[in-house]
Amino acid sequence: MNNVTNLLHGFQSALTLSNLLFGLLGTFLGTLVGVLPGIGPALAIALLLPITYTVGPASALIMFAAIYYGAMYGGSTTSILLNTPGESGSVITALEGNKMARAGKAGAALATAAIGSFVAGLIATAILAFAAPSIADMAIKVGSADYVALMLMAFMTVSTLLGSSQIRGFIALTIGLIMGLVGADLQSGLTRLTFGYGAAQDGIETVTVIVSIFALGEALYIASRFKDAGWKIIPMKGRALMSREDWKRSWKPWLRGTFIGFPLGVIPAGGSEVPTFLSYAAEKNLSKYPEEFGKGAIEGVAGPEAANNANAAGALVPLLALGLPTSATAAVILVAFQTYQIQPGPTLFLTNGALIWTLIASLFIGNTLLLVLNLPLVRVWVQLLKVPRHFLFAGIVVFALLGAYALNTAMFDLQVALAIGVLGFLFRRYGMPITPLILGLILGPNLELQFRRAIQISAGDYSTLWATPLSKFLYLGIIAVAVGPAILKYVKKRKASL
Amino acid sequence: MQNKKSAKGELTFVGSLFLLGLIIAITTKVQEMPHLNLTVSPRLFPYAFSIALMGLSLVLFINILRGDIAEPEGLEGSTGSEKTDLKVFGIVFLSLLAFAVLIEPVGFATAGTATFVGVTIAFDYKKYLRAALVGFIFCFLIYFTFTHYLHVQLPAGIFKGIV
Repeated sequence: MNNVTNLLHGFQSALTLSNLLFGLLGTFLGTLVGVLPGIGPALAIALLLPITYTVGPASALIMFAAIYYGAMYGGSTTSILLNTPGESGSVITALEGNKMARAGKAGAALATAAIGSFVAGLIATAILAFAAPSIADMAIKVGSADYVALMLMAFMTVSTLLGSSQIRGFIALTIGLIMGLVGADLQSGLTRLTFGYGAAQDGIETVTVIVSIFALGEALYIASRFKDAGWKIIPMKGRALMSREDWKRSWKPWLRGTFIGFPLGVIPAGGSEVPTFLSYAAEKNLSKYPEEFGKGAIEGVAGPEAANNANAAGALVPLLALGLPTSATAAVILVAFQTYQIQPGPTLFLTNGALIWTLIASLFIGNTLLLVLNLPLVRVWVQLLKVPRHFLFAGIVVFALLGAYALNTAMFDLQVALAIGVLGFLFRRYGMPITPLILGLILGPNLELQFRRAIQISAGDYSTLWATPLSKFLYLGIIAVAVGPAILKYVKKRKASL
Repeated sequence: MQNKKSAKGELTFVGSLFLLGLIIAITTKVQEMPHLNLTVSPRLFPYAFSIALMGLSLVLFINILRGDIAEPEGLEGSTGSEKTDLKVFGIVFLSLLAFAVLIEPVGFATAGTATFVGVTIAFDYKKYLRAALVGFIFCFLIYFTFTHYLHVQLPAGIFKGIV
């Protein structure tokens, strides 16, 4: 069967009433978490992981994917009307979108963001549908040593590109890797880093770490440092519509944004900040109206929003084809797969083909639902921002504690949640990025497994780790990412001193 | 002044990370190994990560002393406070702790309500009774949905036999 036939079968499964309802619920929840500052899609999906106990994999994954996409849409609303990006990928949108809203063009800004996200989502999902199986086919030939190099590449890029400094990113990653070691080692039976605590033998639950570092850490941080901060909404005049001129100025940035965002999602380039920034820079350079940038240029909203959505779809390629998450949200979706005993990776399309094609088809449906729901309902979403912050955070905290406890109904998980919550506070306070920690925790055990496998196959010869062309290429990439920023900094410094 | 205080706090945090690395390295070293013929020792990764943590913490420690003080995460669209309100931090932490202490003896709905009220107090909300009512309805709905529809067993506590 070819990809088109598979996709049509996917549509057939996705278009059942229950799957459509889960998709609708996901788009609603996704937009909600995108709109509300302080809750991102990673936390939302982590909090909803208990549904995997009772809901089938197709419905649950459809819902999670819809949350992922929905959050991208919701984030633009708050960026434009509040100058408050609901998620990191919408930071650039706030630059021009909020200026447009202040100039009375909120409707056009919201429309170009929503339609741009739709166009980008559609194109990027189509590329995903055709690229992911081919990458998976190629990835079957990828050996353990190559996987080690791939994971190291993901660690390097995510730690280097996120946060205020490389060193803080690497510390966050190392803490995550150490957390992944806690518990019994499956190969030797040796109990590691439990400090004699019997309950820790099974290791630290990923879900517990995710919900506590995001939700409890955020609540501790916001309450103790920002409890008096408020939100000021810019009133929106008219409907979310675009004029003929707006369309003319938007369509090219949408396409450019898509083609910038998608590949940067596929490679572990550290989330949606980089592609949205690159798209903004490209639009600024190519625009016929460069003087409008910084004052409310529609291209500065259209391009980055498309790049943001395309990036989200791109991140699903390494997740599905290689089992490698490149963002915190993708990492949580990986955990969702694992709760169903499904391991994303090269064989996923063979072992769970029907499920994955249903998921891909649901992305097309979810994307359309988001456009239909979001533009007419934009005023409703804005009303959500009127939920009092004290109730909002109190609710999030209770839900997070429930998420930590419900997994095993174990007190140990709650104790871990408290400790991780405090760690989350410290990370925010001292500028350490959270995503590298999550990635280290999730991929760490897999790194060790593949490393051991590679060394065992080669009978203890460590040179096997860099013996293949792919691993050589990846290690060169790692070196480039590691020393690249330092060289650029040096060159800039030299230029400035001349 | 604020910068100096912030640097002190960060130095303490980074110093404790170094200490953590050291403890992990020592624990790994003194641990008894199983008598197996393994190509890769189960000690390799704990050693590697603990040494990495110590090395990175040391570099960051020196960087902080040289003026590379962390930029605290900002709240999107807000200027926020320059320092942590420890009293509020304590209230939130105690609210979280209350959940862990209370959930098994008094049940999820009651423990959740206590935590809910605690967090609203931390956000300066003074209408305690209303917070308790909203919190209880919220927690009760969660309890009911999870136990009846998602089949997740949560402690009923004082409501055992009633719901």
